[in-house]
Amino acid sequence: MKQMLNSYADAAHTLSADSAQLAVRCREVSMSFKKKNVLHGVSFEIKRGSIVGLLGPNGAGKSTLMRILTGLMEPSAGSVEVLGSKPSVDTLRDLSFLPDRGQLPNWLTAEQWLGYASGIYPDWDRSLENQWVRKLEVDVSLRIATLSRGQEARLQLLTCLSRRAPLVILDEPFTGVDLLSRENISSAIADEAAAGDRTFLIATHDIREMESLFDRILLIGDGTIKGVYDTEALRAQGQSVESCYREVFA
Amino acid sequence: MPPDIIWNLQDFQIDPSRPLYEQFVEQIRAMIAKGQLAPGTRLPSVRETAASLRVNPTTVMKAYQELERLRLTITHRGQGTFVTDEADAIRQSRRELARGAVRRMEELASSIGLTLEELIALANEEE
Repeated sequence: MKQMLNSYADAAHTLSADSAQLAVRCREVSMSFKKKNVLHGVSFEIKRGSIVGLLGPNGAGKSTLMRILTGLMEPSAGSVEVLGSKPSVDTLRDLSFLPDRGQLPNWLTAEQWLGYASGIYPDWDRSLENQWVRKLEVDVSLRIATLSRGQEARLQLLTCLSRRAPLVILDEPFTGVDLLSRENISSAIADEAAAGDRTFLIATHDIREMESLFDRILLIGDGTIKGVYDTEALRAQGQSVESCYREVFA
Repeated sequence: MPPDIIWNLQDFQIDPSRPLYEQFVEQIRAMIAKGQLAPGTRLPSVRETAASLRVNPTTVMKAYQELERLRLTITHRGQGTFVTDEADAIRQSRRELARGAVRRMEELASSIGLTLEELIALANEEE
């Protein structure tokens, strides 16, 4: 019996080690700036095609972790794989990133920006762009400087979703965004996730708006992973994403 | 071909601490049993449903598969998913809903020390 259990464990291990099915794998990732430890021994995996929430209080290390996944930063220790490769300039091609407090060139109109972006990104899809302009109700004739925060957030998301990149990483897509724009954005994410084999990693504080969207949640606090949960499994035990979050962080 | 209806989040009462797919199955099943969703109605696709309810597409797919397994819906390749027009399947689903309701009533009755028949008799007793 014990042997059987062991062989199951082995099988599970080889399954989880099958990187072809993984969009992201982090092993013992640590990051320190000067003497400050921002991430410590972070390990997790994200399966392709899933929508994963990265949840945790301010200063937990979410943005740093996302920047490491994009290759903008290299971890002090540990290993990271994004779609099977180490994050670098090369993996940027397969990854669409919405940074926290990102800045679009505000002297352009939204239309000029989208024209420019379509030239930078080889995987830009004009028909996707048109679809999202319509669904996210972005007035492309407006100058970016004159957009409200909600309009600018929708334009940023539109920029991410108009690419065919298989991995989409969104850092706080809802900051300063009104209720209806938030609903529009989460509807767009559900739609895009249903359309294809895309993987989403989303950091957010807006648990109520997003909890139905997530397959899994990664809870991160003080630079370490506090838990990884399958959301439907949590609910089967009578817990909501919110109550789980409270239990872990309260 | 567009669907005959579009789901709206207000059509559902979702409890965030119960499996979502179960709740969608229960509530769509009740809509079919009550005739609120008529036989032959074309349902929105998984993608349309995920987008309009802002819910994980895998959850919607699971709910749709369960409805299909219960023979309450039928999928025609390339055309979409439809509410069944087999009166049998709907009848059976109504029966199961009725049994569930009676079971809950029985539990309620036994919590005050009565059988279901006694509960009904007591409720109908004249002043």
